[in-house]
Amino acid sequence: MTDALLEVRKLRVEFPTRHGALLALDDISFTIAPGEVLGVVGESGAGKSLTGAAIIGLLEPPGRIADGEIRLLGRRIDTLPPAEMRRVRGREIGAIFQDPLTSLNPLYTVGRQLVETIQTHLPMTASQARARAVELLKATGIPAAETRIDHFPHQFSGGMRQRVVIALALAADPRLIVADEPTTALDVSIQAQIITLLKTLCQENGTAIMLVTHDMGVIAETADRVAVMYAGRIVEIGPVADVIHQPRHPYTIGLMGSIPSISEDRERLEQIDGAMPRLNAIPPGCAFNPRCPRVMPVCRERRPELMDAGSSQAACWLHDPDVAGARP
Amino acid sequence: MNTIEKLAERARELAEREAAGKPAQAPEPTVPPPAAAPPEPRTPAAPPVTAAIAPLIEVDDIAKVFDVSAPWLNRVIERKPRQLLYAVDGVSFSIARGETLALVGESGCGKSTVARMLVGLYRPTRGTVRIDGHDLARLSGKSGQALRRRIQMIFQDPYASLNPRWQVSEIIAEPIRVHRLLARPTDITRRVGELLQHVGLTPADAARFPHQFSGGQRQRISIARALASQPEFLVCDEPTSALDVSVQAQVLNLMRDLQRAAGLTYLFISHNLAVVHHVADRVGVMYLGRIVELAPKTTLFANPQHPYTRMLLDAIPDTAMTGRARTPVGGEVPNPLNPPTGCTFHPRCPLADARCRRETPRLLPTANGAQAACHAVEEGRA
Repeated sequence: MTDALLEVRKLRVEFPTRHGALLALDDISFTIAPGEVLGVVGESGAGKSLTGAAIIGLLEPPGRIADGEIRLLGRRIDTLPPAEMRRVRGREIGAIFQDPLTSLNPLYTVGRQLVETIQTHLPMTASQARARAVELLKATGIPAAETRIDHFPHQFSGGMRQRVVIALALAADPRLIVADEPTTALDVSIQAQIITLLKTLCQENGTAIMLVTHDMGVIAETADRVAVMYAGRIVEIGPVADVIHQPRHPYTIGLMGSIPSISEDRERLEQIDGAMPRLNAIPPGCAFNPRCPRVMPVCRERRPELMDAGSSQAACWLHDPDVAGARP
Repeated sequence: MNTIEKLAERARELAEREAAGKPAQAPEPTVPPPAAAPPEPRTPAAPPVTAAIAPLIEVDDIAKVFDVSAPWLNRVIERKPRQLLYAVDGVSFSIARGETLALVGESGCGKSTVARMLVGLYRPTRGTVRIDGHDLARLSGKSGQALRRRIQMIFQDPYASLNPRWQVSEIIAEPIRVHRLLARPTDITRRVGELLQHVGLTPADAARFPHQFSGGQRQRISIARALASQPEFLVCDEPTSALDVSVQAQVLNLMRDLQRAAGLTYLFISHNLAVVHHVADRVGVMYLGRIVELAPKTTLFANPQHPYTRMLLDAIPDTAMTGRARTPVGGEVPNPLNPPTGCTFHPRCPLADARCRRETPRLLPTANGAQAACHAVEEGRA
């Protein structure tokens, strides 16, 4: 795909340890089109945040990209030297993290932080940058932005702080925003405000979003496409409505069944017994095979690649026409 | 046959079912509910707000005020007044045996404070908590301990609520020892093994330490510890908020099986309305220290009365709603140190009028059998 904004191919991230390298991400490939919202879901430890960190070049050492490539508008960014990556980050890729309190510097006013970010990336004078900062704060729905700009982060509530973080991420008009659990620390009513805000702002500016979250409800309302991760791999990727309503991978099916919903009454939630394997004990073949209700002998031997399954793609042998007797 | 034997039987059944290769999916409870519990705890048609049979838990107008004033010297020098935080202000409800009452609300609404008052971790500033007719505050010494045995709590964070230096066997045996339920060490060991099996772990896990378990397994240990004293009433404060959805499903299913098998009564605190919809029989919605709406689950979700409840229901992202355009409600929860006058929700309420700004609404019965604290609902403006 040439028109992709972001292209990740065969990305592999590992953590060297005394007992050999731990493979945290393996064979991650996906693209994000301009203006698209890609949701990335999975349980803790599935590697979703790590994927985001690899893209913005903020992998915590000793974690490192062992293989594969990341391209932004056709240009490789995973091999850029740190100084150049710093320019990409902020200018072309914005980042929003879960906890708004730790992503703002408590010692500086939000205005100073915004102006600094704007001036780093855009050729603007201090007063122009300040005017833009006020504009950004207004756009993110902060009342009395002209006075609030001189306040410190602790003077804002959680929801307001997250708005400031969004303003910071949008400061230099990036093409892509990597949002890692942007609403997890917020109450539902505030979460709704922030999601709507993020969505409208990105629609207006044509910004693409990679939305990392464990909350399927947030994904359902926000994303265009969704990638489901399990044990460091993408197990299913496809249009959001298909993945939610017609999941193809047994893990996705189990995951959807385990989410309580207010629109239906169920006596019991479906449960996937067991837990996700640790990185040092990923079983051979398909990583999900010990928990899979439809496991076949081939699942214990060979690892399935992503293959077409309806309008989505799933990494599951059930969808391989060559695997005998397998009709999903 | 006591409760625990029933539990054991239930666990054996589950184990057999799993051994037979059938996933434990939607099993109808085969164990008849114990005599102490009402026969049909989950019928929403039962008299909604006040339970007909003598309720197990009666909470009458409880309040908790925290003194958050500056130190005395600062107050004198800087002439600052005393500052009182009304974390909970006049909350009343009752819970029937075998019933699950859920309290929902956003952070800071006082739901956890209510939970802590019910188990005696906080002493209410005002009001009474009665358990099976006994006033929790009046009882001390032996009778107090006997009453406290019947109430247990499951906390939100399974990483913080288990002592990392204790083996699982010690953690689970502590309530048994404290309440002197069993004397012989071999009996206690056997009982710990049984409890671990009830929550889906193995007796061999007793020798391990909390850090050797995953979050979901730790929460199972917390549940086993809570069950160790054979309680009738469990207060669950966000028991699954720290867990992943698939693990949350395991824990919620386990809690439901235990409730069916032993006739447990739950107070379930959560901010997640979808989870509440799944577990609760009745739901109380809290806002700034007060219950603003109290209704049977089906009524509340089908026909919410209070504007705040409607706003909350509107705000939940739901997987059934792909591509839905939402209308977010503005505003945030006000500072509880300086709450708005009258109805505390009025600055965010689309229906607010002069009376709402002036007068605090009381929790009154509504036309659909719920209770709501709202002038607009009372006047039929809602």
